[in-house]
Amino acid sequence: MLDVAIKKQFGANGHAGFALDAAFAANQGITVLFGASGSGKTTTLRSIAGMVTPDAGRISLGGSVYFDSAARVNLSMQKRRVGFVFQDYLLFPHLTAAENVVYGAKAQNERARRQHAAEMLKLVGVDYAADRRPAQLSGGEQQRVALARALASDPAILLLDEPLSAVDVTTRSRLLDEMVEVQRKTAIPFIYVTHSPADAVRIGDLLLVMAEGRVVQQGKPIEVFNAPVNVPAARVVGTENILAGRVASHQPEEGISVVDLGKCQIVIPRSQLPEGSRVTLGIRAEDIIVSRERVSRTSARNLLAGTVRYLLRDEDGVELVANCGVDLKVRITPQAAHSLELAPGVPIFLLIKASSCHILP
Amino acid sequence: MIWSAFKLSFLVVSVATVVVAVAGTGLAFLLARREFRAKEMLDSLVTLPMVLPPTVTGYYLILLLGRRGLLGRYLFVLTGWTVAFTWEAAAIAAGVMALPLMVKSARAALESIDRRYELVSFSLGKSELETFFRVTLPLASRGILAGVVLSFARALGEFGATLMLAGNIRGKTQTLPLAIYEAFISGDDQKAQIMAVILTVTSIAVIYLTNVLTRPPKAA
Repeated sequence: MLDVAIKKQFGANGHAGFALDAAFAANQGITVLFGASGSGKTTTLRSIAGMVTPDAGRISLGGSVYFDSAARVNLSMQKRRVGFVFQDYLLFPHLTAAENVVYGAKAQNERARRQHAAEMLKLVGVDYAADRRPAQLSGGEQQRVALARALASDPAILLLDEPLSAVDVTTRSRLLDEMVEVQRKTAIPFIYVTHSPADAVRIGDLLLVMAEGRVVQQGKPIEVFNAPVNVPAARVVGTENILAGRVASHQPEEGISVVDLGKCQIVIPRSQLPEGSRVTLGIRAEDIIVSRERVSRTSARNLLAGTVRYLLRDEDGVELVANCGVDLKVRITPQAAHSLELAPGVPIFLLIKASSCHILP
Repeated sequence: MIWSAFKLSFLVVSVATVVVAVAGTGLAFLLARREFRAKEMLDSLVTLPMVLPPTVTGYYLILLLGRRGLLGRYLFVLTGWTVAFTWEAAAIAAGVMALPLMVKSARAALESIDRRYELVSFSLGKSELETFFRVTLPLASRGILAGVVLSFARALGEFGATLMLAGNIRGKTQTLPLAIYEAFISGDDQKAQIMAVILTVTSIAVIYLTNVLTRPPKAA
């Protein structure tokens, strides 16, 4: 269990300053730190690693205290046993892939270190490239070697700073699955920093939304994305509903496919993916129509019955979170909220065009 | 005259280059990686011999190391030995003149390395010392080697400060540049020419080597 409660002030005299004030706890599995650039997620990650020293607070992992300003504890990076994977991998260019992994490997002697490094390269699936230099590896391969190198040092926790932002879309998708697999096999907790909602939903067991140096919401990724509980969180997660499901059936002659979300089904334009495929659906909150009555003859292919959970008001309008088996956020104008007399608990119907529902890569 | 000057130059330059390489890399690391109050003062002090006339640098070295010098007097009292007019004086003069080139090259090389490589090494449990020798130094090796070669060349050509601190004693402190001067003054043009050619060829080799070392590695 990782416990973080830290403060750090950047920039003096109050002007153009930034204050980090992050508090959260992360358990086993993959915890995603999600936020825009400048939200403090990387600084938080670096504080955990010991690359940045907070002004005040406490960081501990299980029984070991990494940092405690009150007790004047500030463990060196070497003693924290924290694995760190940078966005641009930073493999040592003068060493081969295998030597990179051997460099940090924890074992009794050189032979055991080599053995351990070979196992880690195999675990991440790049043992075939062991003798290549970083310059001869693709982005995806470098990323895997960097992961193997961090794992070989026997870390108590692994910190990943946007590790996939520099690889192409198809490699990225495969690497995400591999990363989850590696995490489950090693049982080392991962803290994963990203600004990609698709990545966050795909691999996160817990999602922490950061805005302006604070954790503004935490929970299961899908729930956080579709039901932000405050305006800062709503702003960070954006206006897209992110839903995980499987392709249930195809109706080619009708030009549609059906995606099963567990507690409800969504009609989307005809997809080429085979039935049973796992997909992530995106539906923009602006593309959903709210109605107080059941509309019968409409071109919108999705009519979902539900109730209003709550409304959030910001300067741009109203964000309504409705429960229709799954949570969905809907963007409406204050006028619509008034005239429909929308309030928590009110039964409503949501209309969504099939073409407003798209599969995220 | 030629042979003894050549031998002496070789000894003086070798010792000066080795000492400068180690001390210069250490100083460069301090300047590139550490924050301390007198940092820019230290940089200025190290660089000074590059801009001062060598005779002035030599004069300061006498004030510092001479028999009645700031440090030299204690050395003399303790050991009865004084540096003036010894080959060691020639080596010190050559080293002090070469140090700025070494420090500048090594500092630039160290500062061009992404610091995060070192952070990665720390996160893998490696100490600062081990990180320096296994990550930082290999990554900066080209720039540092270029600095060593330039220092070698500077030490080889050193004249003014050497003359001030070590004098011009044949077989004792007379290095090649000093010997050329003496040969020329005494009208022995042939000897001067031979030694000039030796220095020229060496210098061309050094320039060539520096260019090869600082050329970026070919992409794989």
